[in-house]
Amino acid sequence: MSASIEVKGLTKYFGQLLAVDHVSFEVEAGEIFGFLGPNGAGKTTTLRMLTDLTRPSEGSAKILGMDTVKDSLSVKAVIGIVPEASNVFLELTTEGNLTFTGALYGLRKKVRNERTDELISLFDLEPHRAKKGMELSLGLRRRLTIAMSLMHNPQVVFLDEPTSGLDVESSRLIREVFNDLHRKGVTTFLTTHNMEEANQLSHRVAVINDGRIIAIDTPELLKQAASESQSLEVAFDKDLDETGEKDLAALPCVGDVRLLGDKYHLVTSDPPCVLDSLYPFMAAHGLKPVSINTFGPSLEDVFVKLTAGREEVARDE
Amino acid sequence: MNEQVVVARKPFVWDELRKAWAISSKDMKIYYFQPAVLIFGLVFPLAIFFAFMIGRDVKAVTLFPGLITLTIFFSTTTVAPFSVPWEKMNRTFERLLFAPVSMRAAVLGKVISAFIFGFVISIFPLAIGLIFFGSRIASYAALILAFFLGSLCLSTMGMLISTVKADTPPKVMMVLNVVRLPLMFISGIFVAIPTLPLYGRVLAWFSPVSYCADLLYKALGFKNYFGMLVSSLMLVAFTAVMFVASVLRMKAWNK
Repeated sequence: MSASIEVKGLTKYFGQLLAVDHVSFEVEAGEIFGFLGPNGAGKTTTLRMLTDLTRPSEGSAKILGMDTVKDSLSVKAVIGIVPEASNVFLELTTEGNLTFTGALYGLRKKVRNERTDELISLFDLEPHRAKKGMELSLGLRRRLTIAMSLMHNPQVVFLDEPTSGLDVESSRLIREVFNDLHRKGVTTFLTTHNMEEANQLSHRVAVINDGRIIAIDTPELLKQAASESQSLEVAFDKDLDETGEKDLAALPCVGDVRLLGDKYHLVTSDPPCVLDSLYPFMAAHGLKPVSINTFGPSLEDVFVKLTAGREEVARDE
Repeated sequence: MNEQVVVARKPFVWDELRKAWAISSKDMKIYYFQPAVLIFGLVFPLAIFFAFMIGRDVKAVTLFPGLITLTIFFSTTTVAPFSVPWEKMNRTFERLLFAPVSMRAAVLGKVISAFIFGFVISIFPLAIGLIFFGSRIASYAALILAFFLGSLCLSTMGMLISTVKADTPPKVMMVLNVVRLPLMFISGIFVAIPTLPLYGRVLAWFSPVSYCADLLYKALGFKNYFGMLVSSLMLVAFTAVMFVASVLRMKAWNK
């Protein structure tokens, strides 16, 4: 499989500030590639350099073999960009936004109109076709923003926090659309700080912190790196008193204990070991379980471990 | 889905013009009837004109070259300084940059929408002068050149002003008026250039508005100063320089 996106030593300075520090990676054709990092880590700057919205200070990037700076317009003809803030024209209707976008990509009127109808249907915007951007809710504007990015059938799509602040229905719809695009061979570059979204959508994930990539792998392989961060959640039929909580924390194989709503979250590297001692504990305290669930390490655990590791290294240096 | 991506390649210039026209059409729909555009582009020149005319012992017909120049000047220079910062503020200008649209086409699109706005609006004072005040057209060539080259040049000027480092329309409008108001007095709008004092006549060379006014004086049968050829060439030269400067400034803003 060939690479759709090739990045070599991409670097961006804003004055003295090093925002992105010699980042290199490749994204295969048809892959959904998650780009994870905390706010200010360099995610959006990297995305803007890949789409020639910001010029790199050093390094280069190629999309489908074309240099993002030298072949900027050719690159833009084959990519779709979804910015973090929904930037639809507030004064144009849903249909007007889509047809205008089609015109910017040089689509003929007939193709523009057909594609507009397809996208309005795909994103469930038919009842809002004649509404102006200013009359749409945030979720509908987001859908429209994504629909506009797909108007010209791009081969590579760049998404910056696509479901940030969205209702469940819109988020689910958008995820379905991108899974469908993947089946059609479209490459997706997804920047997010939503670990669950990256976990659900991405085939591979890169973690960026302080402008540097600190890990790239599949979500499951990354999670193995944090196997000590497994957990078990248990809800009892009665509240625990102070002694009960102390006894719970003292169970074998239990690390950290946190009360999350009506559940106790027990961090462990060995959930079966905790389960073995949990039943005797409940019997001793006259408790009955309402629910017990075990969880593998989450991408969030991996992220915290990786970024904390770097902070320690930075402190040592 | 991917097989639909390939779009037949068209000649580059034609492709650019189509995209520029798409931007212009969108601007016409969105901005022509915005209150700020109508006030600064239409009401302002009329108010200034009447403020100058009322109570003065001058024949109204002698003021029409100035009124038409003022209308072209204010209407063409209002559209881009409103639309560009508005789109930067709402991040919709980025929409143009996401697409395979060169900055040249984006700037051209903005200039065309201002050009059409100014051109059409300025026909009204001309018609009023011809119908109600006895103005007559002495040179159709000068009139056409004034309307075409004047509107184009001053639209480009508005575009250049819209590239100032300001993030909201009111801030750009403030800069716009700081530029427009002094130019009004050295460009032969209220007082024909030949009758200006020496320093005024020297300064008039540096204002593109002067050449538009000069052509309109000629067009309506009054004495002009620069001559048709010089005025036309200067308008073309100002347009070219300000267009290139606008593209460069927009590119610098983007990067």
